[in-house]
Amino acid sequence: MANLLATLVSSAGTLEAYGRVLETAQNNVANASTPGYAKQRLELYALPFDPQGGVTGGVRAGKLVTARNEFAEQAVRQQTSGMGYQQQLVDSLTVIQSNFDISGNQGIPQALNNLLQSFSAWGATPDNQAARQTVVQRATDLARSFQQSSVTLSARASDTEQQIGQTVDQVNQLVSEIQGYNHIAMQGNKADSGLNARMHAALDELSTLADVNATFQSDGTVSLMLNGETPLLLEDKQFTISSSLYQPQEPTPTNANGPANVRIQGSDGSDITSKTTGAQLGALLHLRNQILPSFIGDAYQPGDLNNMAKQLADRVNELLTSGNITDGPPAQAGVPLFTYNTSDATATAASLSVDPSVTPDQLAAISPGPPSVSNGVPLALSALASPVDDADKVKGLSFSQFYGQLAGRVGTALNDATNNQEVQQSLLSQAKEMRQQYQGVSLDEEATILMQFQRAYQATSKFLSVLDQLTENAINILR
Amino acid sequence: MGTAALVEQLMSARQQLDFACELLAKPSPEALDSCSSVLEAAGHQLAEWQPTFSQQAGDAAALEEAWKLRRSFVRTARLLQGAGDFHRNWLRLRGAMTGGYTETGESAPLMHGSRISVHG
Repeated sequence: MANLLATLVSSAGTLEAYGRVLETAQNNVANASTPGYAKQRLELYALPFDPQGGVTGGVRAGKLVTARNEFAEQAVRQQTSGMGYQQQLVDSLTVIQSNFDISGNQGIPQALNNLLQSFSAWGATPDNQAARQTVVQRATDLARSFQQSSVTLSARASDTEQQIGQTVDQVNQLVSEIQGYNHIAMQGNKADSGLNARMHAALDELSTLADVNATFQSDGTVSLMLNGETPLLLEDKQFTISSSLYQPQEPTPTNANGPANVRIQGSDGSDITSKTTGAQLGALLHLRNQILPSFIGDAYQPGDLNNMAKQLADRVNELLTSGNITDGPPAQAGVPLFTYNTSDATATAASLSVDPSVTPDQLAAISPGPPSVSNGVPLALSALASPVDDADKVKGLSFSQFYGQLAGRVGTALNDATNNQEVQQSLLSQAKEMRQQYQGVSLDEEATILMQFQRAYQATSKFLSVLDQLTENAINILR
Repeated sequence: MGTAALVEQLMSARQQLDFACELLAKPSPEALDSCSSVLEAAGHQLAEWQPTFSQQAGDAAALEEAWKLRRSFVRTARLLQGAGDFHRNWLRLRGAMTGGYTETGESAPLMHGSRISVHG
């Protein structure tokens, strides 16, 4: 009797499984032209058959193929996020790079070069009024260039901040859309393959914006976690994220009035900025909270543009005030040329200017010595072009070299991002290819492929580690 | 050896790596086997040519080509890693789904069983 019942149960299971096969086939026909729809197949598992032991055999519909499909989908989404990150970095860095001219024909490098040349011309004719006037004019031009660069970079920071806000809004909107799909699935429509296709299309779009992990549940809903740990969606409950400007208090900021960072918060108010590192949102945060502050500063650093402006202004002022305007008696000491906001280290470049009360004849040319040198100060100022003294350098470099390095940093970051974007494009194509490769492959076939793959992978890895060394050697030898 | 010859050698190695990337774009076991042969050949060539590189030390054109070669290598390595991660992670997941976990918390090894496959 028990066997009979077991057989009936087994038959019912078998019929249900075949029913699902038919349903799957019908879905494939009905959705042949639905965008985002992937052909489905149902894998059936043979159950053990041993009538004596009460094991009645039959077949059962399996979940492994579905799991594999979702795994492949997630792999594609992961690479899509990587692509979103690199693409955003390339776009943003291209804009920032245009603010750093290294040809020397405009901006800070040109103004700096002109000022240093004017020091040199003044040194040749220290009493010449026109030469002195030129120094004041060139110093004014350089201060203006610093101001302009600072304003432009601050505007970029502001643009990026807006982009972050828009991206966060888009993420919330897409999650809300998927929440709607979950709601439909929870009403018993989990087998609706059209719904499934719409979910996947929204997930693809979402993965470009943020690094999101999607887990499909047995009820047909999808759970979304940002960066693998912050919930965005569970069943039909959405958890919105937000962005805001944030001035950290711990540790105590060295620049309390410096530009604030942008913070991302989960729905419970927790700070998830440091974990938000992937996709477009991750790239924008990296740009806004790390790359741009390295130039214009934040709560904990003045930024290199401000470092350079301060060092230059201080050194020029120091040399001018160490000299005399006239021998006297009494000797009349020189006055500082540059002024800037000394209360905020992140505002030096933006506030750098030439003291409007300084007239050309107040520029001190005489180095008091002993011995006194009539053009000692302009000569010392012109030495800033090729400094020997550490006091004439900024972080061990001449001012021109320092600016070149600063601009080069953006160039290098852009170059890296462009190369990474190419690699990422290949990885995305590869992930799509692998998703395709396993569609229609039975699990037995797949098991064989996986074993063959492992063997081939190990062999290829060995050759790759040899090439790692050889290609690096080639660069080191040729350098 | 002149610069032109060295640049040509480096370019030839780079082309082999680029071909390996093409193979890794569709990473079947067969493609990986072919990829191994290509990488082995590129490695042999580079090792053979390496002693002559020092003659062109400081040459900008040769160095630029060496950087391009390095970039191709990085792309190849990332693609191999991408394919490896995909398969390894799926293998682990499939093992856990079919056989659970071992005593040490690892995914169970891949289970083989008889299956009937019906194509819809």
